[in-house]
Amino acid sequence: MKRDVNFILNGRPVTLSVEPRTTLLRALREYGVTSVKRGCEEGECGTCTLVIDDLAQKSCMVLALEVEGKSVLTVEGLVAPNGDLHPLQQAFVEEGAIQCGFCTPGMIMTAYAFLRKNPDPTEAEVREALAGNLCRCTGYIPIFRAVMKAAKTMRELGSHPGAAR
Amino acid sequence: MKQTVTRNGVGAWTTRKYDHEKAVGTLAFTDDLRFGPELLHARAFRSTKAHAEIVSIDVSEAMKVKGVVKVVVGENFVHRFGLYLHDRTPLAVGKVRYVGEPVALVVAETEEAAEEGMLKVTAKYRDLPPVFDPIKAATDNSVLVHPELETYEHVPFITPFPGTNIANWFRIRRGDVEKAFAESKYVVEEAVNCPQIAHGFLEPHCCICKEELSTGNLTIWSTAQSAFALREIIATGLGYPLAKIRVIAPPIGGGFGGKAGMTVEALCLAGAMDPDIKGRPVKLYIPREEVMLTSWVRQAYIAKIKLGIDADGKITAIKNNFYFDTGISAEYGANPVRSAGYSSTGCYYIPNVWTDSYAVYTNKPFGGAYRGFGLPELMGAMEVVIDIAARKIGMDPIEFRLKNMLRTGLPTCTGMPMNAHSLDTIVEKIVDRMKLKEKEPAKRKGWVRGKGFALALKAPAMPADASSSAIVKILGDGGVEVLAATMDMGQGAYTAYAQIASEELGIPIEKIRCYYPDTQSHPYDWQTVASRSCWSMGMAVKRAATDAREKLLALYAEFWQTDPETITIEHGIVKCKAKGKAEPIDVQVQNGFFMPSGKFVGGPIIGSGTFVPPDVVNPDPETGQSPKSVVHFTVGAVGVDVEVDPATGAVEVNKVSAGYDIGKAVSPMNVRGQIEGGTVQGISAGLMEAMYYDEHGKLLTPDFTDYKIATSMDVPGEVDAFWEETPEELSPYGNRGVAEHSMISPAPAINNALFDALGIRIHTYPTGRERVYKAIQEKKRGETDIWEYPYALEQSYKNAVKEWK
Repeated sequence: MKRDVNFILNGRPVTLSVEPRTTLLRALREYGVTSVKRGCEEGECGTCTLVIDDLAQKSCMVLALEVEGKSVLTVEGLVAPNGDLHPLQQAFVEEGAIQCGFCTPGMIMTAYAFLRKNPDPTEAEVREALAGNLCRCTGYIPIFRAVMKAAKTMRELGSHPGAAR
Repeated sequence: MKQTVTRNGVGAWTTRKYDHEKAVGTLAFTDDLRFGPELLHARAFRSTKAHAEIVSIDVSEAMKVKGVVKVVVGENFVHRFGLYLHDRTPLAVGKVRYVGEPVALVVAETEEAAEEGMLKVTAKYRDLPPVFDPIKAATDNSVLVHPELETYEHVPFITPFPGTNIANWFRIRRGDVEKAFAESKYVVEEAVNCPQIAHGFLEPHCCICKEELSTGNLTIWSTAQSAFALREIIATGLGYPLAKIRVIAPPIGGGFGGKAGMTVEALCLAGAMDPDIKGRPVKLYIPREEVMLTSWVRQAYIAKIKLGIDADGKITAIKNNFYFDTGISAEYGANPVRSAGYSSTGCYYIPNVWTDSYAVYTNKPFGGAYRGFGLPELMGAMEVVIDIAARKIGMDPIEFRLKNMLRTGLPTCTGMPMNAHSLDTIVEKIVDRMKLKEKEPAKRKGWVRGKGFALALKAPAMPADASSSAIVKILGDGGVEVLAATMDMGQGAYTAYAQIASEELGIPIEKIRCYYPDTQSHPYDWQTVASRSCWSMGMAVKRAATDAREKLLALYAEFWQTDPETITIEHGIVKCKAKGKAEPIDVQVQNGFFMPSGKFVGGPIIGSGTFVPPDVVNPDPETGQSPKSVVHFTVGAVGVDVEVDPATGAVEVNKVSAGYDIGKAVSPMNVRGQIEGGTVQGISAGLMEAMYYDEHGKLLTPDFTDYKIATSMDVPGEVDAFWEETPEELSPYGNRGVAEHSMISPAPAINNALFDALGIRIHTYPTGRERVYKAIQEKKRGETDIWEYPYALEQSYKNAVKEWK
């Protein structure tokens, strides 16, 4: 028996009709938001990571009904209304932090939530923050570079783009 | 005179194609495609037995599940598929050969119904004795995994032995090894073993197949590295003409060889081509915990290497025995066995060579292509044995390597002269940067520190006649489209091709697009494997772009009444100084030029280019000798600095330096990416990765909880990735392959560093915390070597190196 769940998706109110057993990952993908990737559906790989009320979560480990009334942010939602990339997205592109791209949306969302809490991290802190998101292509090294670079850009901007969402 | 000017041509540091789409999450991978309510979903019911006859399969309860449309079993779809050896059916027919083998395919209206249906299928089996130990399987024919081996078709360059479990036997015979051993001052004989490992790409296999109801034409959307090879394998297996099958390959989330050839597509076709289903698209998404059971992994191996060394430290003879555990299929795995074989003197010149490299069937999930393709296996053993040998004869291991190095012009083990390279420069840089000749104290209190080194080498492993072709179209606004059926799975092929097109056309890279493969629109390419693309397809793209440029210049020359040689293309502007002309490329290149003659000339500009290696000769089946066995070798080296906690066995890698002679960096951003990424993947393989089974052959490590791969916490503190550029003669820009190479030698370098730190030799991979702890304890008991072979009760290393015959 399907039930409705109401939440804010990338700044916009949505209502999805889901079965109680449906994960947020599957519900969002069914709805058309496919940046959340199915890498394992067991909470191991991090490719489905998104941000729920400022907390990075693996959407395969959350039931869709659990986000009632909450704010859900995916990597699509980081893009500015004029199409500009978020500093994190821009840094990932510039630093070669993307190869196949399958881990990228989840990796960026984890980094996004982390930098909200810790805007001036050490590289050691970045390594620890990303430990739940697997990447098999890049060896993580350019990802560390990208997150450090984005953190610097965001500090220089003096604001946190995307924070309004 | 060079007639083109561009900022982002060959050799420029530039951002990568499609990274923008990947960063915003809008690039659609196969699982992201939508097919509407007609779409059906498939899920495999799998064997619980390692080796058994199928007595019966009961699908009646599954058919009662709401939404289940059909349950297909092996007898409904008997087709053999394979790249090099047709030994694989998508569903078990008559017999199961490993735990996890697909036995039935449940097709349903939803993924959930397919899963529920799968849980309701039952099967009865009559047990057969299984064989898991590749040494036993190779030497004792009492259990045959494929008694039908004789009937399987195969390519001429592999040699199966019907009546045994040997799916391929590759040999090198040169000189007289026994005589050379007898005359040697030192003889060193050592062994190394390594379990199966998995690719660990983050996107599981996914495939959608549809048979057109009236025509029978097939469309396949799949996570495929090689759209054309996939089409050919399917066409051959079904007996279909090529044009009846269309393969669309959307972006893939990592491949590393695990999505080469044909993987899960035939299993999906077993559903989509069923008479009760055809006409509707069927989707097969492989859940993570079934990935290692559905397609191939890297083969396990046992390598025994015997060296004869003279009083000067020159290696005079080598005898290699390589047993590759290929599981139940060698359709692809037969070839890494050959690849290791024809590279089996490694980076060294050795006059007398005897190599036996075997692919051995066992009742386990199967081996196949994996980044490095036989060479991480070869080097994982050889670079350890070289290290042991150097220490035994009292030479510095690096000096020993330099003394025996396969320098330019010297024959490889197949007799082919080695191409130009600067391996000695790379060695020098790594020795210097890693302070390899200095012993340094550990940075962590109570830990011990060691340094290790290993060389690497690899050639593209492919049939002699693997070809590529490309089309370059110049659009009416000066944009460019490149059709090159390489899969850009992250390695950056489309960026490299755009740089090549930009270089040859003088058009900015921003105006150049490459598209993901579709056999209906793209011209042929053999496969995206073997680190061959930027070289082989690079030749085709360069030729196609050159062809387009020449056509364009000829038209402008006629239009401006001048010679083509007086015209340049600079940042998309066509110029002729002599005539005072400078015009952006415009719609005339599409619609034709109205010439001074009063006639329209031209029409759309399409450049084409093809390439096939002209002079590769498959090695002689008896001796392995060939004047040119491969197109070229890329060489390199890795130095590592590790620390070990003697209390726990924990290993931390302080620093790695890895360098390769790649001829020319066409796309430096991607070269760096390949070296950094492959180095970490190699460290991960060396320190933590292994597939483990219980005594009944059930995989114990099917997902990322039990099969550990490197996380961000496992990355060395410092990774120094570099390259040298000694040009390759036959090459678009002097470039050679580099994508696989970085994965090859981190594991043996770590092994050597652990010996340096601990003083005991570990002969079994992975060399992670548990095994290192054990080694430390064994050393306290006076052992000098540890050897852990899962199938032998006798774990003594000394016994393990005795003859296996």
